Amino acid sequence: MRVPWIAATFFLARSALAVFADEAWNVDYHYALLGLPKQSTSFFHQPNPSSRASLIYTLSEEGVLGAVNPRDGSVVWRQLLLSEALAYNVSFLRAGEGQDTVISGIGSQVAAWSAADGRQAWILDTAGPLQDVEILELSDGRETAGAKDAIALSGGEHPAVVRIDGTSGAIKWQYQWDGVDQPYQVSASTTEVFAILLHKTLLGYVKLKVVSLDPVTGRKTDEHVVSSENELASAETIVSVGANSASPIVAWTNSAHSVLKVNILGTKEISSFNIEAHDSHAVERVEIHAPYHTNSLSHFLVHYETATSHWADVFHIDLKNSKIEKAYSLPKMTGKGAFSTGTSDANVFFTRVTRDQVMTVSSASHGVLGRWAVAGFGVAAGPGESVEPVHAVSEVSIKGTSVSAVRSAVLLSTGDWVLLRDGSPVWNRPEVLASTVSATFAIPAEVQEFVQQLEAEAHGNPISAYIHRVTRHLQDLQKLPAIMASLPQRIVQGFLGTSADGGIASDSFGFHQIIACATRDGRLVALDAGNPDKVLWNQQVADLQLGQTWQPSVSSPEGGIIEINSKASAGVRYNASTGEQLFSILPIDETAGEVALPVKYAIHKGELDATVDTKMAWHFTPMSGERIVSLVPRPVNDPVASIGKVLGDRRVLYKYLDPNLALLVTANDVTKAATFYVLNTISGAILYSNVHSGVDLGSPISSMLSENWFAYSFTAEASANSPKGHQLVAGELFESLVANDRGPLSASANYSSMQTGTEPFTLAQTYQIPEPISHMAVTRTRQGITSRQLLAVLADSSAIVGIPYGVIDPRRPVSRDPTKDEQMEGLVRYSPVLDFDPKWYLNHQREIVGIKDVVTSPALLESTSLVFAYGLDVFGTRLSPSFSFDVLGKDFNKFQMLATVAALAVATFVVAPLVARKQVNARWQFA
Amino acid sequence: MAGTSALPPPPPPQWVLELTAPTAPSKAKAGSVPDPPGFTPTTAIQSRQSKNTKGTAIAPRKQPSPEEMDTLKIKKAWELALAPAKQLPMNAIGMYMTGNSLQIFSIMMVFMLFKGPITAVLNIQGTFQRLETESNRAQMLGVKAAFVGCNMLALALGIWKVNGMGLLPTTRSDWLAWETARDPLERAYYVPSY
Repeated sequence: MRVPWIAATFFLARSALAVFADEAWNVDYHYALLGLPKQSTSFFHQPNPSSRASLIYTLSEEGVLGAVNPRDGSVVWRQLLLSEALAYNVSFLRAGEGQDTVISGIGSQVAAWSAADGRQAWILDTAGPLQDVEILELSDGRETAGAKDAIALSGGEHPAVVRIDGTSGAIKWQYQWDGVDQPYQVSASTTEVFAILLHKTLLGYVKLKVVSLDPVTGRKTDEHVVSSENELASAETIVSVGANSASPIVAWTNSAHSVLKVNILGTKEISSFNIEAHDSHAVERVEIHAPYHTNSLSHFLVHYETATSHWADVFHIDLKNSKIEKAYSLPKMTGKGAFSTGTSDANVFFTRVTRDQVMTVSSASHGVLGRWAVAGFGVAAGPGESVEPVHAVSEVSIKGTSVSAVRSAVLLSTGDWVLLRDGSPVWNRPEVLASTVSATFAIPAEVQEFVQQLEAEAHGNPISAYIHRVTRHLQDLQKLPAIMASLPQRIVQGFLGTSADGGIASDSFGFHQIIACATRDGRLVALDAGNPDKVLWNQQVADLQLGQTWQPSVSSPEGGIIEINSKASAGVRYNASTGEQLFSILPIDETAGEVALPVKYAIHKGELDATVDTKMAWHFTPMSGERIVSLVPRPVNDPVASIGKVLGDRRVLYKYLDPNLALLVTANDVTKAATFYVLNTISGAILYSNVHSGVDLGSPISSMLSENWFAYSFTAEASANSPKGHQLVAGELFESLVANDRGPLSASANYSSMQTGTEPFTLAQTYQIPEPISHMAVTRTRQGITSRQLLAVLADSSAIVGIPYGVIDPRRPVSRDPTKDEQMEGLVRYSPVLDFDPKWYLNHQREIVGIKDVVTSPALLESTSLVFAYGLDVFGTRLSPSFSFDVLGKDFNKFQMLATVAALAVATFVVAPLVARKQVNARWQFA
Repeated sequence: MAGTSALPPPPPPQWVLELTAPTAPSKAKAGSVPDPPGFTPTTAIQSRQSKNTKGTAIAPRKQPSPEEMDTLKIKKAWELALAPAKQLPMNAIGMYMTGNSLQIFSIMMVFMLFKGPITAVLNIQGTFQRLETESNRAQMLGVKAAFVGCNMLALALGIWKVNGMGLLPTTRSDWLAWETARDPLERAYYVPSY
């Protein structure tokens, strides 16, 4: 008897908790990303020298410095060093042995950060762009007890080598030179600092010049040229300039990658090695992996790579006579491989990660110390694509003479950063998503079919719709055995509240849409919005050369299909569920079918040009001195449920609904003015315009247009009568400001903007907001019945807020209290200051960094809109601006409902005989 | 002295006699005072016939003439016909007090307000059947019309109330769903430059 009561108490207690915890952390997801890590700026390092626990540090291609916990892949801390990511930025990250700081160099800034929590210790601006940053591993007693000093090499007009105090960031000495020699890299041994310069010869070749500097005073002690006259055509074939190994080296190859030449810095001898071709393919890449610690053995590994295979040679440096000898080779393997260096005391270990195994060897001998098979990296890839390791960093733990475990953080060719413990993947971070440049939602094909069936039933005549529905349900009966089999599990999950929403195919709410993200390096990555923990598929769609940029725009023209448009290729389509490329078709202009001659407009040379059938329709030239900042057209698919607004007295204010609207923002850099135009894009007429003077054009200007309203935000400079502040302007267009008046066109069925130019009546209202909005978007629902939320990206507080439209409604009564009718409409008195309600923050506690764009998509449920934000971080959620009126929330207590029904059923069964007896007795017995 | 002693004692006074003598209800006395109208003693039920002949005060009721009956029936019918009108002020106050919000009580009251007059009008023949004769049929028409009118007044009160609650589609917003947006003849598309 007691067990049900305990169970009931348990469930009721659970439901009581559920009242307070909303659906945060359930419906939303967030990837705190760093960007693709670079080999030269990633390493394992112990933030606390006394503890053996280490973190993985990286300074990524996006210019984000971060520390990742190798146990679970979570970000411990991160710092954005670049406001705008450059495709191939030059950046450096170093950590001295046993140091609790890491030193980064990017652009012209050298900065030191606390390794444990990411706090900045110091920052220093150098005169020119940085060419190299190293840590000076000296033991001359000059450096302070705490942090080791750094040396930085800066380029620019006055190249210089600078020694920076590790504690304060002050410059200890500076060595400048004048001349044509370009700085290349800097390296330090225990006794000397070497600056490697590139000396251009008359014939256009490059010679390597090594300048030795005294680390204490910074005076030049020696200078010599190491490479011969016409060996180096460019700096690209310089393989490596050895870092703080016991004896730093410089290595280069000839342009055919057939000869490797190595020079130990500080000496003049050059050792030359032939690179044997292992097969018909030419060597494409040569890389050197050497330990960074001064007390490590001076061994290094040269990694050769061809198009199909890779191998490596290990070399030993004899410190006494400065000779370099090849010790052994690691055999050729097909596919790509990644080598990484790990040290333990003086011993050096090389870890080789290939597509199917992880192998560790000692630098001293070729005996394999540990070999683990890799069953798979656990990442999604495109059809037929083999996942290859690109580069790796590893940490080797040694027990006695054998390797007990190897942890390798491997960047894969799919853009995933995976940690392999021995051979098994522990976590993976889809860092490729940090470089997303365009994203779209796509309805899976199965759901699209369901949607079409529902639409057929909604629009057909009742009888045929009924027959359609019955046949559909009869077909659904085929799935009955499967459903019956999974029923007990589903019931249990429903009770326990652990039910994950079903898969993509059985998604009747439309939450499982596929998000396709095109990344800067030419990949297309698909996520499931309802189950975002794993990547659905991830494949290379554009073959980009180094330094080439790609500006794709992805869209989903119909369910189940993703289309990529870019400069190079228009209308390449992919299956949204599997990522297969569909047969390439000519870009059919779908818009042409609907209207005879669509007007097409584009920004061209700073002007807005519209054409009809190659003829100029209109063009918009900004006023002299103005430039176009942005253009936001009304979304093509923007359903509106009601064409008017119902007032409190039940009269109607008609909305000015025209699909051919666009909001254009221009700025004048001289007068600091920003102009906002609402344009009719058929006739080019200006429907509304507003000039704001004294605008801080360095701050973001964001704008948005939807339905019959627009919003924009800018930062106003301080003026005589107002302080500097951020403003949000909301405007709404009406057919007429007189209620029940539908304007001059009245109820005519169609209209032509060319012939009848109607102008809207616009109401606008300005609000003072606490921080600038860097980007705006708006929620979209299936039929547009649900009220809207303006989604504003707040870059300063790393957040996204959803501002309900009612709050920024321009019809809020100004300087008077709302009348009773206005109160019924939900209008409240206008107040110029709009504070962001903490409840509006979609991200809750999380920090969403670097968001560049927000895309929204309607779910199948009218109440719900899906939101996906990308940039550096990836964040997504589901929003119900008018609350979830068409679906039961998680707080609905199924157990309580069923218990009530069961209790009533029991009561009925118990009471029924009693009542029957009483009724019989009432007939037969007389009191 | 002897003469005085020979005298018989004087008869007791009347009040003594009345005091000592048991009081017996005298039938003549009872019969002379008529019972209050509508009072029927239990003993009289069985011997009503004899009493009627004996009692002279109870005059036999004169049967009203058919003309008088008609007048009476018309009078009664008018009362019936005007009864709904008499309830109107009370209903109006009730409706006013419940307010215009859509709540279960106001909805139920409005429902009763509609149900009453409609059922009354539907049952109009049954209501006046008893009072209708061949001779007063013409007059009865007017009465029935008045009855219908009074019920219509009650109905009007209900409609006024429903209107106050905003349930009548009398405004533009009620027909907004049937108005469609104008279709533009042209469409413009933004071509982003890559």
